[in-house]
Amino acid sequence: MKTLKKVMAVLMIMAMLLAIVACGDQKTQGNASTPTATPSSATETNQPELQKDPETGLTPMANRTPITYHMFIRDPGQAPDPNNPVLKKITELTGVTIEWEFLVGDLNEKVGVMLASGDYPEIMFGADAKKFFDAGALLPVEEYILKYPNLRAHYEPFLDKMKAAFDGEHAYTLENYNLERIQSPIFQNGGAGFFLQKAVIAEAGYKVPKTVDEYFQMINDYRTKYPTIDGVETIGFEILCDGWRDFCLRNPALHLLGSTNEGDVIVDQTTFKSSLYQITDTAKNWYKKLNEEYRKGTIKPDTFTQTYDAYMARISTGAVLGMFDQYWNFQQADMLLRSEGKYERTYISVPIANPGMKDAYLEAKSGTISGTGGITISTKCKDIDRLMAYYDWLLNREVQDYLAWGIEGKDWVKVGTVGKALTPERRALNQDNTKRRDLTGDTLWQYSPKMQGLYEDGAPCSPGDSEDEFFAGQSEWEQNFYSKLGVKYPAQILSEPKKMPAYYPVWAFAIDDASPARLAKAKLEDVCRKYYPQLIMADPAKYDALWDQFVAECKAGKPEDYLNEVDRQIKILMDAAAAAGN
Amino acid sequence: MTELNPALPRATKKWKKTLRLYSQQKSLFFMILPWMIFTFIFNYLPLTGWIMAFQNFRPGKGYWKSPFVGFDQFAFLFREQGFWRAFRNTLAMSTMNLVFGFVFAIGFALLLNEIKNTYFKRTVQTISYLPHFLSWIIVCGLISNILSTSDGAFNNLLMWLGIIDKPILWLGEPKYFWWIVAFANVWKETGWNSIIYLAAMSSIDTSLYEACEIDGGNRYRKMWHITLPGIRPTILVLLIMNLGFILNAGFEVQYLFGRGLVMDVSETIDIFVLKYGITLGNYSLATAAGIFKSVISIFMIVTTNYLSGKIEDERLF
Repeated sequence: MKTLKKVMAVLMIMAMLLAIVACGDQKTQGNASTPTATPSSATETNQPELQKDPETGLTPMANRTPITYHMFIRDPGQAPDPNNPVLKKITELTGVTIEWEFLVGDLNEKVGVMLASGDYPEIMFGADAKKFFDAGALLPVEEYILKYPNLRAHYEPFLDKMKAAFDGEHAYTLENYNLERIQSPIFQNGGAGFFLQKAVIAEAGYKVPKTVDEYFQMINDYRTKYPTIDGVETIGFEILCDGWRDFCLRNPALHLLGSTNEGDVIVDQTTFKSSLYQITDTAKNWYKKLNEEYRKGTIKPDTFTQTYDAYMARISTGAVLGMFDQYWNFQQADMLLRSEGKYERTYISVPIANPGMKDAYLEAKSGTISGTGGITISTKCKDIDRLMAYYDWLLNREVQDYLAWGIEGKDWVKVGTVGKALTPERRALNQDNTKRRDLTGDTLWQYSPKMQGLYEDGAPCSPGDSEDEFFAGQSEWEQNFYSKLGVKYPAQILSEPKKMPAYYPVWAFAIDDASPARLAKAKLEDVCRKYYPQLIMADPAKYDALWDQFVAECKAGKPEDYLNEVDRQIKILMDAAAAAGN
Repeated sequence: MTELNPALPRATKKWKKTLRLYSQQKSLFFMILPWMIFTFIFNYLPLTGWIMAFQNFRPGKGYWKSPFVGFDQFAFLFREQGFWRAFRNTLAMSTMNLVFGFVFAIGFALLLNEIKNTYFKRTVQTISYLPHFLSWIIVCGLISNILSTSDGAFNNLLMWLGIIDKPILWLGEPKYFWWIVAFANVWKETGWNSIIYLAAMSSIDTSLYEACEIDGGNRYRKMWHITLPGIRPTILVLLIMNLGFILNAGFEVQYLFGRGLVMDVSETIDIFVLKYGITLGNYSLATAAGIFKSVISIFMIVTTNYLSGKIEDERLF
C-alpha cells in the first residue's frame, strides 16, 4: 500500500508537471501569434511619396504601418510559406500581413468551439456568418463598402440582398462568389457530379453515358478487360463515407432527379416547395443498383469505412474508374494524376440522370449572391477601416492581375488584344499545390474580395476564366480526347448551365441552432448515413424490407420540421427577389 | 474557568489544538496551496457553466440574458432515444474495457513477475508499455490497416487458415465494434497498466515466498496465495477509481471508427455531447448530458468505496 501511494504520488506529480509545461507552451505560442508589428518593414513607412514599385508596377498604399490580421478559413488547407514572394511584396506595399488559419477537422465543431469560448478570429471566410451574427460577433460593413470606390463598384448592386440576409439594417459579409460582371464560359464541372475516368470513355469508343445503367456497364466492361491498372487492382466505383464528406453517399439521387445541388432536399421549381429525395423511388432504385454492383465486386466493401485520406490515395493511383463526388473534393488527386502525365486517368463529369430526364450539373452563374457567404469581420478586429482600405486596394485591376496572373512576361503572356495565357513555367507552378501556395499569390487572391469572370474589355480576370489558358493547359492527349467527343471543353458534354431562381441554394440556408429544424436535419442525415451502406450490402431478398424500415425511420425523425423551415426561407428570398424586380 | 462551563472550554480547547496543529503544519499547507488553486481553477470554476443546463443558452446572450427553462433540457434528454443508446454504448464499452483491462494487466504483471532474468524482464516491460505513448489516431490507423478487406493482415491470415472464404468488413459490422474497441484498449494499455501492479508486487515480503516454498507450494501456488493477495489492495483502489470513470468509455476510438454503418453501437455520451452541443449548437442540452454523467460517476465512486470498505476494509476516502 505504501509503495502504491508513493508510485501514485510520483505519477501524479509527473502528470501535473506535464500539464503545467504544456499549458505554459500554449501560452507562449499564443503570445507569439498575437498581432505584433514586424520591425523589418517599420522603416518603410517613413517614405511619404507613393512611388510605383519597380518590380510589379503597383502603387503602394499611403498608410503602410505594419499591421497583422488573423483570418480563419472554412476550407481545409495549409497556410502559405511566410516567405512567399508575392505575399511579402503585398505586405511591403500595404503594411498588411494576413495570418492564415485553415480548418482542421469539422467546421461545425470548430465554429461551435469559437462561439462557446468567445475567442473569434478577426476575419473569417465562409464560417457560418449567421451563427456569429446571432452571437453579436460581427461588425457591419456597408459604411465601408460605400466609402471605398472599388468596394463600392463591386458590392453596391448587392447591398439590399446582403442586408436582407441578416436584420435588414446592416450588411455583414463581403461575398466572394457570383459577383461576375461579365461571365466567362464554364470549362468543366467543378461541383457535384458522376465522374468517370477518361480512359473508360476512350475505351468504349468515345461514348458518353447518360443513365446509371450505361455508366456501370462501361465501368464493368473496362474492369473486365483491365483487372489491374499499373499493377493496382482496378476499382469500379468508390463511395466516400467519411464524416461530412459523405455527400458522395447521400446526394446522388438528388442529381438523378435532374436537380442541381441543393443539399438535403429537392425543391420543386414551379411550386418552390421542398421535399425529401432521400426516400423517393429514384433513391430506392439507385441504392438497389449499387447493391447489385456491390455483389458484382464493382464496389469494394471497405469504401464504407475508409478515411478521406485513403480515398484520395486510391484515386491517386489511377485505378479508380468512377465515383459520385464534387470535383473540388478530389481535385488534388486529379491534379496529381495530371502532373504525372497520366491524362487518361483523370476524370470527366458525365451527364447521368434518370432516363428521359435532363441532367443539371452546371448552374448558370446567376449573379445572385447568398448574402451570408464570404468574408465576415468580427468584433475582435483591430482596425476595420484599415482592413477595408486594404481590400479596396486589392481590388485595383493591376493588383488583381498581379495576384491572379503574376508579372507579365515572366508569368503570363498576352494572346490577341486582351486574352492572356500563363507561361509554361508558371502553369507548372499552378498545377503543383505546394508551389502554387508557397510561390504565388493564390491564397490571398482566393480568400480576399476578388474580380471574377471577364473585365469590361473582355480580358479574363483569372487563369480559370481564360479560354486561351484553358486550351494552352490541355495536353495533346486531352485535346484529342475532346475533339473525338466533338466538344471544345469537357463541360460541353453536360446539359447547358441551368439558371437558378433567387433562393438557390438550400444548402447555404442558415438554420437556427438548437431549433427543431436543425435537429430534424441532423437526424435525417444520420438515418441516411446509417442505412445507405446497409442497403448497399444487404441481401437482395431483404432489400425491400430494409428500405421500408429506412423510410419509417426517416419519417420518425420529423423531417417536416426541416422542410417547413426551408420552405419558409425560400418564400422570404423569393418574395424579396420579386419585390426587387428580378 | 474550565470548571464553570464545561461545554464551551472544551470546544475552545479543541479549536486551539487544531490551530496549533495547523500552525505546526504550515509548511505543508504552503506546499499544497498551488494545487488547491490549480484544482479550484480547473475543476471547480468551470462548474459555474452548469447554469447553462437550466437555460436555453445562446452564446450571443451569455449567462445573464439567456432565458431559464428549468429542467426542460433534462426532460428532452431523457426522452431522446439517441441519448439512451449512447448511454448503453458507453456503459458496455466501458465495462468491457474495465474487465479486459484488469484481467490482462494483472495477468501480464503476474507472468512478468515470474521471470527471473532482469534484463529480459525489463526489456519486455519497456516494449509492452510503448503503445501507451502512441496517439489514438495512429493506433486506429494501424488497426484499420490490419482489419482492411483489401489485403489486410487479419483477413489474409483467416483466409490462409481457411476459417473464412472471403474478407470480412470488421469495422463495418456493428456486432464486432465493441470487441474491436476493447481489443484496441488492451493492446495499447496492458503494458502501462501493469506497471503499477509490478510495483506493488515488488513490495511483497520475500519471506512469504520462502515460507510458501517450505510448505511445499509450487510456482502456481505462490502466485495464487502470495502474489495475488499481496496486490489486492492495489487492485481494489484502482477498481474504485476506475468505476468512477465508468461513463468515460473514451472518445477517440469511437469517433475515429464511427461510420454510419456502426453508428448505433459507436456513439458514446461524449460523442453525443459533441454532436448536440458543439455541432448542433445546443450547448444547454450538452451541459445537461454532462451533468448527468458526473452525477452517475459520483454515485458509482461513492457506492464502490462504501462497499469496498464494508467487504475489505479498503477505502479510498
